[in-house]
Amino acid sequence: MTVYRGFLTITRRNIRMVILYLIIFLSIAVMVQKMTGGNAAEFEQVSLHIAVIDQDGGELARGLADYLGQYHTLVDLPDDPSVIQDRMFYREIYYALTIPGDVENRCLYGDGTLPVTKVPGSSSGFYVDQQIDTFMNAVRVMTASGIPLSDAIQSVIDSSADKAEVTLIDKNGFGGEQPLHAFMYQYMPYILISILCYSMCYIMIAFRNQDVKRRMMCSTIPARNQNFQIILGFATVGAAVYGICTLMPFLMYGKTFANDPNLPYYLLNSFLMTLVALSLSFLIGTLVRSEEVISAVVNVVSLGMSFLCGVFVDLEILGKGVRTFAQFLPAYWYEVANELLANNSGFSHAQQMSLYTCYGLQILFAAAILGVALVISRFSQTA
Amino acid sequence: MQSTNIIQIENLVKRYQNLVALDHLNLEIQEGEIFGLLGPNGSGKTTAINCLLALLKYDKGTITIFGEPMTPGSYDIKRQIGVVMQNVAVFEQMTVRENIDYFCGLYIRDKEKRRQLVDEAIAFTGLEDFTKMRPKKLSGGLLRRLNIACGIVHKPRLIILDEPTVAVDPQSRNKILEGIVELNRQGSTIIYTSHYMEEVEQICTRIAIIDHGHVLATGTTEELKQMIKTGETITIEAIALDEELLSGIRNLPHVFDVSYEEQTLKIRLGAARHNLVRVLNYLQEKDVRFGRVFSELPTLNDVFLEITGKELRD
Repeated sequence: MTVYRGFLTITRRNIRMVILYLIIFLSIAVMVQKMTGGNAAEFEQVSLHIAVIDQDGGELARGLADYLGQYHTLVDLPDDPSVIQDRMFYREIYYALTIPGDVENRCLYGDGTLPVTKVPGSSSGFYVDQQIDTFMNAVRVMTASGIPLSDAIQSVIDSSADKAEVTLIDKNGFGGEQPLHAFMYQYMPYILISILCYSMCYIMIAFRNQDVKRRMMCSTIPARNQNFQIILGFATVGAAVYGICTLMPFLMYGKTFANDPNLPYYLLNSFLMTLVALSLSFLIGTLVRSEEVISAVVNVVSLGMSFLCGVFVDLEILGKGVRTFAQFLPAYWYEVANELLANNSGFSHAQQMSLYTCYGLQILFAAAILGVALVISRFSQTA
Repeated sequence: MQSTNIIQIENLVKRYQNLVALDHLNLEIQEGEIFGLLGPNGSGKTTAINCLLALLKYDKGTITIFGEPMTPGSYDIKRQIGVVMQNVAVFEQMTVRENIDYFCGLYIRDKEKRRQLVDEAIAFTGLEDFTKMRPKKLSGGLLRRLNIACGIVHKPRLIILDEPTVAVDPQSRNKILEGIVELNRQGSTIIYTSHYMEEVEQICTRIAIIDHGHVLATGTTEELKQMIKTGETITIEAIALDEELLSGIRNLPHVFDVSYEEQTLKIRLGAARHNLVRVLNYLQEKDVRFGRVFSELPTLNDVFLEITGKELRD
């Protein structure tokens, strides 16, 4: 097994790079954990600094100001447009509502609108707009049904203090939240592709050296045996990297990950991605001629595929065009499967089919890439 | 002791489409020889070696090594052959020792035996102080020595060295040549190709001159020198020689070529006694003043030039 031992010796020379990538991977996982901190389901209402300029002073105006005061911090400002604009420019306030005189007749019973000053197109402006509409509509409905204005205003203010109990549907056994190990698996393609492509390319360039090859062909080990040992080396390195990547979620999330009912699916999905990464590394190793360009090519492939296929950002954030293009890349199907696993514990028939389709496509991609690499390799040998 | 043929190549033909690289090449190499293969670039030396090692398929002919036909599957024969390529064929990522051990492992499975052979190869090539270094840290000469160590580590009966001293400093070159002679002394048969005629002349017991894919001449250095017309070359520094005088020199006995360029007179003569005295007497008779005078016996370069009609490095 001399060739195999040589393969592993060269692999050991790249161990520092492997460790570097694992550190990057772990750092990302820890950062995600810190950012989400396990409280993704908690909700806190946004409170803004807003100004209410009351030119009316009536019951409805005071009620509206009290209503908004429940949600936001009211800032006293003079009724001066330039002051309002200055404060808004410096973001000391995010919204200014001017309640004009005779607001009851103009806006509650008439078609008049309340003049507001807000940051154009901002979510904060939209948010306060909605709250004002809610208040006015509620009061309008109540007074229309015969309830006196003061009672209607009080009733709307009181009902706004009621809190609704919200429970997320627990589809995946993690209280509806994405488990943290799912984030780790989301980033795994980047690590698998980077580590395997780097290390395998270096080894392939070493073994593809024509002079070394000739010397090996002169030896007593048949060419078929040499190739078998090289394939065995590939499998060993692939298994080792897969093993390390699988061990990490166990180490970081322990029982949570071990008890996940989707554990076998996660393992299978990442295993198939390892096969894809191995075949990809074989293809790049066949195409790349010098060690100097390995880094550039591997970065383009691993980062490019990661950005396009939802490794670094969730799939739903990707544009339609990007998603369509990403369907021609294997990491996309890994991520689709990973998203299914992260959000569900039991699968419907359709979901199961989607999952198996993702697995099947990854196998096909691995086989296709390997096939192309073999054709190129054979062509370059005979050329 | 009767010498036996270790290699026999008969009517070997190798074509690359319309180009005939080997044209009915015939060679016999005997056990214990240091056999020099001389030829200009493109003469077919490397193709012949590649066919010999079964790295290339050939169109016609037979190759027999150790009495057996050589094929890609002749692993018993391959076990007894060591190859030192023209280019350094080692792994950049492995240390000197790991490289030698790796290439030894392609022939020897037993770990203990391998360790011993690797130590011997390291000692033989004088690489003891560099065993933990990577090839890119080695000088050109040390790299060549590593290349040789990787080729001979399994103690082969037949060693093929394809220009092993290219781009090597004189000190390392001498060390390599001494090593080759020592390997031969230890019992290995050597096939040696080189551009450096003086190296071939220095170490080879028999030489084949090859051009256009076939052997033009084979023999020892002395035998080759006797095959050519030139027995002596006389060079004289002299000023302003006229055509009448040169014509007189051409008519002297044994002279077959006279040239006069840049005040240097070069006379090539067949092997005979008193050639130099005769030429000098003639010049004195004609009252020609001359400076330095050299008389040289034919070199391998003269042999090559006369047989192939071109310099080796053409």
